[in-house]
Amino acid sequence: MSDAAPTKLWVMQATYVALSLAVIFFQLLPLETTPRRWTGPDVVVLIGFAWALRRPDYLPAYLVAFVALMADLMFQRPPGLMAAIMVVATETLKRRSRLLRDQGFPVEWLTVASALLGVMLSYRLILSIMVVPHPPLGLTLIQLVMSVLCYPLIAALSHYLFGVRRVAPGEVDAWGHKL
Amino acid sequence: MAKDRSQSEDYLGPLKRLLTGVLVLCLIGLFIVWRIDSPRVERFRAQVVDKVVPSFDWMMAPVTGAVNLVRDFQSYQRIAEQNQELRRELQQMKAWKEAALQLEQENARLLDLNNVRLDPRLTYVTGVVLADSGSPFRQSVLLNVGARDGIVDGWATMDGIGLVGRISGVGNSTARVILLTDSSSHIPITLQPSGQQAIMVGDNTAAPLITFLENPDLVRAGDRVVTSGDGGVFPAGLLVGQMAEDPSGRQRVRLSADYERLKFLRVLRNQGTRTITDPGALIVPEGAPLDEALDALEAGPEFRTSDPDSIRRPQARPAPADAANPDSAEISEASQ
Repeated sequence: MSDAAPTKLWVMQATYVALSLAVIFFQLLPLETTPRRWTGPDVVVLIGFAWALRRPDYLPAYLVAFVALMADLMFQRPPGLMAAIMVVATETLKRRSRLLRDQGFPVEWLTVASALLGVMLSYRLILSIMVVPHPPLGLTLIQLVMSVLCYPLIAALSHYLFGVRRVAPGEVDAWGHKL
Repeated sequence: MAKDRSQSEDYLGPLKRLLTGVLVLCLIGLFIVWRIDSPRVERFRAQVVDKVVPSFDWMMAPVTGAVNLVRDFQSYQRIAEQNQELRRELQQMKAWKEAALQLEQENARLLDLNNVRLDPRLTYVTGVVLADSGSPFRQSVLLNVGARDGIVDGWATMDGIGLVGRISGVGNSTARVILLTDSSSHIPITLQPSGQQAIMVGDNTAAPLITFLENPDLVRAGDRVVTSGDGGVFPAGLLVGQMAEDPSGRQRVRLSADYERLKFLRVLRNQGTRTITDPGALIVPEGAPLDEALDALEAGPEFRTSDPDSIRRPQARPAPADAANPDSAEISEASQ
């Protein structure tokens, strides 16, 4: 048990990174070169949030920072800003995750929705303070709504496909600490 | 429960929080550095993209191909009607082809008659689109040619027909093209046949907006839009598209390039046009009198060149005077 557990932790951390990079890769495919009127959800952020709420130990801050920074660099966003906001948001959610453990899914959904809103608002606020041209508001709102709507799907996929389940009461981590 | 945990990890919690804080500060620092010194960080970004994206190339091509295959498969449903449509279009195109051939011959004859010299330096490098921007807020594509192939920031990029965008960000083996539809794209254009100058501004829609148009009455929908070459941004006369008006009456450009399928793009080599800065000499070209005078001095037998360097003093006195009166030159040397 004490041997298998840390390996599982590392495997899941690596899975998180691989999954996020795969999502970035699929978004980079040159399939859509015309401007779009609508956008899909921000899957990288959603995966981060879902995993942070369910299994905080799978998601150390440096991995979140790495993934978000790669997304920043690849997607031509201002480098570092979204990554910093993501780290702060996931850390907040991680702290919240112990309280949410006994609540139902609707509460979790609401928490994620408010976190997404907070991320969007702070991102736009900082961009406008620093006088960086920011993306059109309509697209951002569509993306926010799509992200909120798609959260249950991502959560279900994480749950059934990758086994990211909520910590059961009394479960211990690799070193025997309570989670 | 929460208490237990915090007691058992008393030493670990604050340390973790501190490290996370440092991490966030580093990221914000990177953002601020980008805001202050954008070119340097953008170069770093280009290098990262240059390393990462080509390594995915082996996977990107098949996946893109597969997705496109599925999409094409969906369109098989309408294949019969599409076939009819294409036949009709082909008929029309044949007529146009005849007209184009005749016009081309006529054009060649006229150019020959007028002894017009076309710009010979508009050669191009062709690249394949590796990736798009990946984000709905940015319109750009990544090409598989880069500094290795001599690509330079700012060069124009076209597909077979029309202008597509501008090189912005060059890695060793990749280059990013900011498309005309991106909201940071501003291109000086000329509308023909009226010759009005304007700026074409991308706004994240399929048809960029025309702004700074001097007299909107002189243009109408369907006018040809070409680059104007102002500001040395692009070579003049590259086809961009046709003017169109949107329902709210604003002028927009319907782009000629086929943005639906950007696959092979041409990057036009453009060494920049020379600017003329001075009015030029009126009587003889600059420098000629001095050279002639020096020749005359060396040819003259009566002139003793004791110290040749002293002759080449720049403009101590007009050189022709020296040549006309070698004695005075000797005197001035002696007096030194």
